[in-house]
Amino acid sequence: MEPRMYAYRCTACGKLFHPARAVCRRCGGREFEAVPLEGEGTLLTYTRVYALPEGYMKPWLGFGIVEFPNGLRVSGHMNTEDLTVGMKVRATVGVVKEGVGRDYYGFIFEKAG
Amino acid sequence: MRKVGIAGVGHTKFGRAEIPLVDVLALAALEALDDAGVKTGKGNVDQVFVASMGAGILNRQSSVASALVDTLDLQPAMAETIENGPASGASAVKLGYMAIASGMCDVALVVGGELMRVVTGWEATDFVATMLHPDAEYAYGLTLPAFAGMFTRLYMDKYGVTEKDLAMVAVKNHEHAMHNPVAHIQLVPNFHAIIEDEDAHVINPYVAEPLRVYDVCPVSDGAAALVLCAMDLVDRFPKKPVRIAGIGQATDTHVVAEREIPTDLLAVRLAAERAYAMAGLKPEDIDVAELHDAFTILEIAISEEAGLFPRGEGHLAARRGDTRVGGKLPINTSGGLKAKGHPLGATGVSQIVEIVRQLRGEANGRQVEGAKHGLAVNFGGFGNNVVATILSKEG
Ligand SMILES: [Zn+2]
Repeated sequence: MEPRMYAYRCTACGKLFHPARAVCRRCGGREFEAVPLEGEGTLLTYTRVYALPEGYMKPWLGFGIVEFPNGLRVSGHMNTEDLTVGMKVRATVGVVKEGVGRDYYGFIFEKAG
Repeated sequence: MRKVGIAGVGHTKFGRAEIPLVDVLALAALEALDDAGVKTGKGNVDQVFVASMGAGILNRQSSVASALVDTLDLQPAMAETIENGPASGASAVKLGYMAIASGMCDVALVVGGELMRVVTGWEATDFVATMLHPDAEYAYGLTLPAFAGMFTRLYMDKYGVTEKDLAMVAVKNHEHAMHNPVAHIQLVPNFHAIIEDEDAHVINPYVAEPLRVYDVCPVSDGAAALVLCAMDLVDRFPKKPVRIAGIGQATDTHVVAEREIPTDLLAVRLAAERAYAMAGLKPEDIDVAELHDAFTILEIAISEEAGLFPRGEGHLAARRGDTRVGGKLPINTSGGLKAKGHPLGATGVSQIVEIVRQLRGEANGRQVEGAKHGLAVNFGGFGNNVVATILSKEG
């Protein structure tokens, strides 16, 4: 099955969150339903990190914070080199870290269009 | 509530320790006890609070407070270990304050310490990143430098902060550290060489764009300690205690991307406001400040959130020289995390040690003349748990 990323919608008031949480920040609700979080968004800020933590074999990695049209903001990897604040990016899902016995999936953003 | 003061301070030389964690903690503790004229042995210290973020993970030792009480011969003093990320130190001071203010005890020993250089730089970076959200941040390989880099880019775009402004903060803090014998780095980088020269990118490469090597604190070992006492017992101590006038603490979203205004450090603002309110002071009353410059941008941003300079003008104050010793409001006279070093659990205690030395007039070549009120801001997570402490000179 293709891995997907999700937003979590408060079943009481409809507010969306990512990642999942115990209590809704708007209404105090405690029940959420998972809805796919995908598509295009806007790059708010980014960095290229050269001193990566243990477990990465690359010399550097791009990271960014992206805002989706529904207002949710998430961190992810940037899979493109020419980055500018405000550019449109498209969310893909892939392996963001190779762990022992399991891989971690997360947002990997690409240039839109 | 009883008033609480600081009767003694101790501080190891930050850098690389060749001895075990508890021995480093003991060195700082004994210096503070001697400074306060408090003897070891039964009944002289009522409670012991030890701050360490990594003892369990990096040093594979838990319950270090119990071990410290034993080696110092302070049994049967009450003791606990406190972990609150990089804000562990100021959290421990807060708990020590509460123990005395409540009337539960008279004398408390607060020690913060960390032994980080037992692992590689990559492992240390990974360890520090464990305070981030496990799925939405840590699993991506995101780190504190990564968030600091993204925060810096936003700050530059919004307020016109430049890489040169950041380098100026770094050089200033290294200059301050030259007058602080316990600072890790005793070397002043050349401003031209690290930022203006065409080879600057070689000696000062990017770590997390737009932050460079000289924008980031070193990885250090070390410990700092305070003896807290009830102010009604001041006659027991050789040096007049410096009073803890206010403490404020606040939290913010765990996930950095969820912050409503990404350039705000809301927990810093709230923690500082609470500390000022408790102390009955205003930002204008502060004469000297130790602000958590794990990254140079944080000194600038925290100085604004704590009300010391108007929003978006912290870098202008740095450009004018206001924040150096001799300026209007000296910041990080100890050298800050940038040059003194940042042994996580030690830092919050170390900042308060520096303020005590300033208020006592014991800061030698870095002394701020006539300092009466000092502020310390200890910053945990990427700003999700912050403790602000205000100290005042009595009389
Ligand atoms: Zn809700």
